[in-house]
Amino acid sequence: MNIIGIVFSNIYDSSLGDLTEHRTSASLPFGGRYRHIDFVLSNMVNSDITTIGVITKHNYQSLMDHLGSCSEWDLNRKDSGLFILPPFNLGQSGVYRGKLEALSGASTFLHRGKPEYVLLSDSNLLCNIDYQKVLKAHKKSGAKVTVIANRQKPNYDGEIMPLVLSADENSKANDILIDTTFDEKNLLGMGMYIVDKQYLINSVKECVARGHFHFERDLLQAAFNEGTLDINIFEFNGTVLRNKDVASYFKNNMACLDADVRNDLFNPENPIYTKVRDEAPTFYSESSVTNNCLIADGCIIKGYVENSVIFRDVTIEEGAVVKNSIIMQGSVVSKDAKVEYSIIDKNVVITEGTTLIGAEIKPEIIPKGRTV
Amino acid sequence: MLKRRKNCIAMLLAGGQGSRLKVLTADIAKPAVPFGGKYRIIDFPLSNCVNSGIDTVGILTQYQPLVLNNYIGNGQPWGLNRNFGGAHVLPPYAKSEKSEWYKGTANAIYQNIPFIDMYNPEYVLILSGDHIYKMNYDEMLAYHIEKESDCTIAVIDVPLKEASRFGIINTNEDNSIYEFEEKPEHPKCTNASMGIYIFTWKVLKKYLIEDENNPESDNDFGKNVLPALLKDNQRMFAYPFKGYWKDVGTIESLWQANMDLIDDSVGFELKDKSFKIYARNYAKPPCYMAPSGSAEHSLVSEGCVVEGKVDHSIISTGCTIGKGAYINHSVIMPDTVIEEGAVIEYAIIGEHVTIGKNARVGKSPASEISGWGISVVGTGKTIEQDKVIDPKEIV
Repeated sequence: MNIIGIVFSNIYDSSLGDLTEHRTSASLPFGGRYRHIDFVLSNMVNSDITTIGVITKHNYQSLMDHLGSCSEWDLNRKDSGLFILPPFNLGQSGVYRGKLEALSGASTFLHRGKPEYVLLSDSNLLCNIDYQKVLKAHKKSGAKVTVIANRQKPNYDGEIMPLVLSADENSKANDILIDTTFDEKNLLGMGMYIVDKQYLINSVKECVARGHFHFERDLLQAAFNEGTLDINIFEFNGTVLRNKDVASYFKNNMACLDADVRNDLFNPENPIYTKVRDEAPTFYSESSVTNNCLIADGCIIKGYVENSVIFRDVTIEEGAVVKNSIIMQGSVVSKDAKVEYSIIDKNVVITEGTTLIGAEIKPEIIPKGRTV
Repeated sequence: MLKRRKNCIAMLLAGGQGSRLKVLTADIAKPAVPFGGKYRIIDFPLSNCVNSGIDTVGILTQYQPLVLNNYIGNGQPWGLNRNFGGAHVLPPYAKSEKSEWYKGTANAIYQNIPFIDMYNPEYVLILSGDHIYKMNYDEMLAYHIEKESDCTIAVIDVPLKEASRFGIINTNEDNSIYEFEEKPEHPKCTNASMGIYIFTWKVLKKYLIEDENNPESDNDFGKNVLPALLKDNQRMFAYPFKGYWKDVGTIESLWQANMDLIDDSVGFELKDKSFKIYARNYAKPPCYMAPSGSAEHSLVSEGCVVEGKVDHSIISTGCTIGKGAYINHSVIMPDTVIEEGAVIEYAIIGEHVTIGKNARVGKSPASEISGWGISVVGTGKTIEQDKVIDPKEIV
C-alpha cells in the first residue's frame, strides 16, 4: 500500500467535559460497544491502510488498554500494523500544541518506508468511508492536499464549524474559512486529509521552525491564501456524526437508533471492529420492556428501557425506568431508579429509588465509577 | 530430547459427524454447531482448557472441517495463539507407506503420537466436542497426580432411570475403577463417564501402540483401550464431577441444553466473569429492540434486530425478527431472518435460514398432538411464505 495513516487521539478532549476527564476523546465509548477510534481504524483497515500511527498527548492509558495487541483490527502485523506515538521531546515544551507540532514529533514514523501519501484523521468524527476512493480522487486531482468534507444543515442558528470550505466545479477549493458559521452550500471539513508525504514533511518542518502549530490555519489556509497550494475537496455523501461536544455526542448516540444511520455506519460489508470482551448474550426477563433501544451483549434487562443506548454488561433492575439515556459498560440502574436524559459513564451504580433527570441539550453526566 | 516441555496438553476429538443432529450437521462437524446465542459447542471444551491453564490443544478434525478450521483459525479468540503451544488443527494425513482416515478415537490419537511427543508432556487430557459444561481440568489433574493414577475418568452422577443410556463406571470405595459397563440394562451405580480422560502419557502411548497392533480392535477408547488398561490392573480412578454437564448429541438434548441457559433452576451461568466462555466475534452492532419488538425470558445477542415478540427463546448473533413474528421456546441460530408474521414454536432454526412471511414452524406441546417433537430447519434453507412445518418435522 502506498499510503500510511495517522490518527490524532486528543484533539477535542476539552469540549467533551467530564467524559474525557479520564480518557482521550479517541477512547470515548460510543454506540453501545464501540469507542471513537474504532471507526477511523476500521475504515483504514477496510481500505487496506495497515500502517497506522496513533498520536497521543495525555490520558492515553485507556486508549492503550482498548487497543491491546490490535488483533481485533487485524493490525498485529510484522512489518506494518499500529504504532502508538507518545509525545516526543519538542525542545522545551514536551507536549505539542497542535497537529503540526504533533506531526513534527512523529517524523520518524512519517519517514518509515516508501509510501507517498499520508491520511491524517481526527478520531471523533464517525462515518463509514472507503479511503481508496479518496486516494484515487486525490491522485487524479494532482493536488498536494485533499480535504474530505460533507454538506449538512446547521443544527442551530449560528453553529460554528472548525473548517468551512467552498469549491469550484472541479472540486478545487476556492475559499477556506476557520471557526465560522456555514450553510448548506458550504463544504465542512471532516478532519480527514490525504496529503503528499514529502509535501507534508517539508511543510511541517518549515511551519514548526516558524513557531506555527495549527494545521488548518497555519498550513492549509496560509498556503492557500499565498496561492502556493491547490486544495482538492472530496465530498463524502454518507452518514457523518461529529461528536464535538456533549450535546452532539448525546444526539449522535441517539441517531444510531435510526435504521438508516445504523445500516450505513455499521455496513456489514465494512464492519466496525472493536475490542472483544467475551460477554454472554443479554438476558431479558419477563418484566423487561424495551422500546427503541440499542442493547449490547452481557446485560441483564429487567426494567423499562426506552430510546436509549445500553453498553455491554449493564444491569437494569426490576422497576427501573431508563429513558433517552446512554448507559455505559458495567453500570447498574437499581430497583425503582429513574434515569432520563442522562449519560451514565462506566461502572456507575444508580442506587435504589434514585431519580436523575437531565435535559436534551444538557444531559446529566455521571462520571466513571460513581455511586449515586 | 527437548528441554522445553508442557506438563499437560489436551487432545480434542472433533472429527465426529454427529449424525443424530441430522440437518444441523449436514455441512459442519458437530463441535461447530452453534449454541447459546453466540457460541459453538467447541467453545466450551476450549474455554475450559484455557480457564484450567492448559494452553496447548490438538484439535482432531475429519468430518466436514471447513467451518471448524475457519472458526478456530489461529486460536486467538481463546488466547490459544501461542509461540510454544496453542491451538493446532490436526487432520488425518498421508504417510509414506499408507494413508488412512482416523479409524476410531484411539487411532486418531495414535496417529498424532509425534505431535504429542513434540511437547513431551507428562499428562494428556482427552476431550470430546459434544458436551456443554464448565470444568476446571486442573483440579482433575491434581486428583490424577494425588491418586498416582495412570488413567482418570471424569464421572457424573446421573438419575438411575437414565443410567442405562450411558457408559457406567463401577468403582471401589477409594474411587478406583473395577468395571466398565456400556449402556447396562441393570446399572449397579449411577456414575456415568463424561468422555473426559486424563492419562499419564507414557502409559497411554504404550497402550495406543498395542491397540494399533491388534487387528481385532476397533481402535476406540471406550471399547478397547480403557478395558485393556483395566485388564492389566493399571491404576484407574473415577473423578467425580459436580455441576452442569449436558450431552448435545441429539435434537432434543441440543434444544434442552439451550433452554437450560434461561432456566434459573438449572444454574448454568454464562456470565461468570471468573470462568468466561470465549468465542470468535463477528463485529456486529448492538441488538436493536424496535418499538414493536419485545423479549421475555430470553437471550438475545448482538447484531439482531427485533421487531417481533420473543418468548423463552435463544436468538443468536445477526438475526432479524420481523414485525408480528412470534418466537416461542425456540433456538434461532446465527444470521437467520424470520419475516413478518411468522410463528416459530418449539423449534431449532439453523444458520442463514429465511422463514417467509406468516410461515409456521412447530407447535407447542400443549396442543396435544400425537408424535409431538422439536421441529428443525436446516442450515441455509428458505421456508416459503405461509408454509407450515409440523412439529417434529425436519427440513
